[in-house]
Amino acid sequence: MTSLRSWTGRRLALGLGQAAAVPALVFVLTEALPGDAADALAGDDPDPRRIAVLRAAMHLDRPARQRFLDWAGGLLRGDLGTSLVSGRPVTRYLADGLAPTLLLAALALALLVPLSLLLGVLAAGREGGPLDRAIGSATLAVYAVPEFALGVLLVSVVALRLGWLPPTAVGGVREQPAVLVLPVLVLVARPLCSISRLVRAGMLAALDAPHVRQARRHGLSEARIRWTHALPNALAPAAQQLARTCDWLLCGVVVVEALFVVPGLGTVLLDAVAARDVPVVQGLAVVFGLFTVVLNLAADLLARRLAPRSEAAA
Amino acid sequence: MRPRFLLGAALVAVPLLLALCGPLLAGPAGPRAVSFTPGQGHWLGTDFTGRDVWRQVLLGGRPVVLVALAATALTYAVALPVGLAAALTRRTWLEEVLMRPLDVLIAVPSLVLVLVCAAALSPGPVGLSALVALVAVPDAARTVHAGAVEVAARPAVEAMRMSGESSARIALGYTARSLRRTLAADAGTRLVGALYLVSTAAFLGVGVQPDASDWAVMVDRNRPGLDLQPLAVLVPAALIAALATGTNLLLDAALHRGGRGARR
Amino acid sequence: MNQLPRRQFLLGTGAAALALTTAAGCGTGSTRAPAADAASPRQGGRLRAVFAGGGNETLDPHLTNLFVDAARAKALFDKLADYGPDLAAVPRLAESWEPDATLRTWTVKLRRAAFHDGRPVTADDVLYSYRRIADPERAFRARASLEPIDLAASRALDPATVAFRLKRPYAEFPNVLAAFGAYIVPGGTEDFTAPVGSGPFRFTSFTPGRSLLLARNPDHWEGAPHLDELELLVAAEESARVSALLGGQADYAHELNPATARAHQGKGRIEVVRLRNSAMQGFVMKTDRPPFDDERVRRAFFLIADRRELVDGALSGAGEIGNDLFGKGCRYYPADLPQRTQDLEGARALLRAAGAGNLKVTLDTSPVAAGFVEAAGIFKEQAARAGVTVEVRVGNKDTYWKDVLDGGTFASYRSGAMPIESHLSQRLLSTSTTNATHWKRPDFDELYARAQSTADPAARTALYERMQRRLHDGGGFLVWGFADWIVATAPRVRGVAPDAPANTLDWARFDRLWLA
Repeated sequence: MTSLRSWTGRRLALGLGQAAAVPALVFVLTEALPGDAADALAGDDPDPRRIAVLRAAMHLDRPARQRFLDWAGGLLRGDLGTSLVSGRPVTRYLADGLAPTLLLAALALALLVPLSLLLGVLAAGREGGPLDRAIGSATLAVYAVPEFALGVLLVSVVALRLGWLPPTAVGGVREQPAVLVLPVLVLVARPLCSISRLVRAGMLAALDAPHVRQARRHGLSEARIRWTHALPNALAPAAQQLARTCDWLLCGVVVVEALFVVPGLGTVLLDAVAARDVPVVQGLAVVFGLFTVVLNLAADLLARRLAPRSEAAA
Repeated sequence: MRPRFLLGAALVAVPLLLALCGPLLAGPAGPRAVSFTPGQGHWLGTDFTGRDVWRQVLLGGRPVVLVALAATALTYAVALPVGLAAALTRRTWLEEVLMRPLDVLIAVPSLVLVLVCAAALSPGPVGLSALVALVAVPDAARTVHAGAVEVAARPAVEAMRMSGESSARIALGYTARSLRRTLAADAGTRLVGALYLVSTAAFLGVGVQPDASDWAVMVDRNRPGLDLQPLAVLVPAALIAALATGTNLLLDAALHRGGRGARR
Repeated sequence: MNQLPRRQFLLGTGAAALALTTAAGCGTGSTRAPAADAASPRQGGRLRAVFAGGGNETLDPHLTNLFVDAARAKALFDKLADYGPDLAAVPRLAESWEPDATLRTWTVKLRRAAFHDGRPVTADDVLYSYRRIADPERAFRARASLEPIDLAASRALDPATVAFRLKRPYAEFPNVLAAFGAYIVPGGTEDFTAPVGSGPFRFTSFTPGRSLLLARNPDHWEGAPHLDELELLVAAEESARVSALLGGQADYAHELNPATARAHQGKGRIEVVRLRNSAMQGFVMKTDRPPFDDERVRRAFFLIADRRELVDGALSGAGEIGNDLFGKGCRYYPADLPQRTQDLEGARALLRAAGAGNLKVTLDTSPVAAGFVEAAGIFKEQAARAGVTVEVRVGNKDTYWKDVLDGGTFASYRSGAMPIESHLSQRLLSTSTTNATHWKRPDFDELYARAQSTADPAARTALYERMQRRLHDGGGFLVWGFADWIVATAPRVRGVAPDAPANTLDWARFDRLWLA
């Protein structure tokens, strides 16, 4: 138990370190970008004097180190700063963008976890059987399709040709919740394939494990063995994959947001990078980074709990 | 499991052959026609800038395959030495120095990494390969590390150390060999992941030139003509899908065989 | 996502105006908007218009930078003047303007108009707005356009009359009143969270990055709009705008792909409106550095371009060929100059004469605007046929315009609607702030100054023609085409002006639309 506690402590410290390092790293990366917010804002009217005035107005003429220290100081006080371009507080951007993104991600996860477990367990039911093969082929085929291609396909067939669902989220999610169906489907498709395959592999390995064979000899029902003895052991790798998938989910979210016009964080990030709006990029990096760190932490803890012997990454 | 293997091989063969031999068969560029017209001497029609789609298909495989392969190779060129060294060293500080930066990198959302780096790098196959590799390195290194730690704890390694074998020999001769299967499986998934990332990068408009002869770019840029000239999208999309699905099938077949072998 | 750039700047990609009705010789048949003005307008309803978005998240009309900003600003605010279809200024809040004999003082009479809160629009509001734009600390875009005005010496003669004192004679002063972003706001306004303007629509609510909801202004000086409500939405992705339109989630989609237009034109699900001869497309050559400091090399490059192939390939055929001059069809455009065509032999001869036999040039381009990289690739192939090696260098799209202003020698370029005079003054004088061709010729500056102190329109036209002939003979702009601007609407939307390029008065003019 002490080893678990010290392991947890080390893992937490690592998480904190990661969370602190992410904004610093992202700041260095954004500083390496060609041009700054003044250049980007000037756009196709790059009058040098105008750019100089813009730069001074944005305080971009101060040294980078100073700007970072100011920003970090603000962060410690809970102040994420204001956008260089619009002057609105970064927290407003986060608040506006977070709801749609979280809604999409939560719906996707709510669908993803039970479905991938179900598919994985079903496929593992009889290895090499028709069901296993059907699920295997289907997941392989879908896994090879990038989100944007799947999205375009679904929109043109389901929404525009058949008219079953609205094609985009233009006009608001609250007014018409049906607009979320297609984005969530697109978002779930690929991770569903990878995770269900992992669950299947884990199940097969677990069903072969000595303690399950033991349980079988003791005459436990097959269903009970499957769900209570094999499944927990199959979950460890899947949980870690799920955490990593959440990171990829963010990537998919950008694509999905663009295709379906969902004004979430991915869109904000894309625009902020294009505008060199460093405070907004930084704010998003902090949020995304924290999210990733917490998820990985949770997954590692879960994996440690589910399969204490596995050297869960730490 | 032979049918699975055969199907996978067949699926991979078509795009691979096209990628390999296509540029040799492509010939010189003909005059441009009006964009998105089916037929008229172009048996797959024309693309968004009036080029012959068949010629683009012939030319467009090589960059996709090369970038995916190069990115995967690059990933392991970094991940393998780092992961192995960190696992086999007995100096804790070295392990920390090698692995902790990767932990930080893994916490930077790959999307932020991709968008920011793509804006800084000039678009092209080299930059894109580096980008895809950069995203994959931390995870791959961790996989190598975890596998190697397990192997290094085996009595055989201890025995080799005792008998004074050089650490390079232990690393390459024994550990890497024991990890072969895990690594092959991991590399396969990474290859498919790289293919996916290359396609998505084309959609996001990062890391590739918008008129490049490249299947992924073709799928994205010919989308507006889907109703006029669907072949310009469907053919490259099918080729990419075949490549990814085929790789996965081959991988499955290989793992299955491997798995059975191990159990025996 | 790169079919069309996410952020479209006004000038960089705006539609250069084309008066199809003028005798300027650009004559192609225009696509008539279906049933436009055929039936009597019906009052009521909400129209949802979707634009490419991004960027600016405030409603400050002086920060107007992108098309969606311009559409928002023109629904809420008015300018003193605006551009007609041939880019000549037409009066808006100004009822009339009158110069003195020296062309240095212009007296502008305001019409009776009121802001949404009932206050009248006065001369003081005009001066406040212009002084705000011209504030050297603030870098508003329209500041460069307002530069000729000596605002300290300009004053209100009475509440409805402004006397503008200029720094120098300026015959085309009305162009300033119509400049992009030169909107009139109520005196003293700094807060635009719930903007009050004099425009045809009143503010209801705004969600940055998402939607702006407006309601009709029944007291607008030009008469109330037909629509009850207008919602301006944002969708960066072109396919999403089309989907929203096809799926009935929007009634008006701005900026579509030529292929999309071709796929849906005449099918009855949506109506496509092509604003012909729109954005100028070309390349800029730096006329002050090798190899383009030699006029023969510039002329050789003019002869290399196969303009039809460029229009077909880079613009999907949705456009017209250019003749190395800006503003085809605009007022003062010399339409009688012969159309230049490809002449590879002539190009080789010129290059030989210039001692540039095996010429190698780097062409800077970037996916900053639709068709840029494609056009660069096509020109590269064409140049190869004349023995010139063109290396295409793709630059960063976010800083492209700044990078090519003074960097490199040869670059992709495009420009939206503005009067020919503005193009000359902003890009081709020694003092110009965005002189991408580095065309600095004292005698050319002198011709421009002379034109601006010439009151007689015929004499001025002759001077403009002399300047443009010079540019046509050996300037730094290789103008190969003019792109269509494509807008689509639901079939029930009526009243879309077919001939109004982006940034002109009738473009995105939602007060004139109605729902059948």
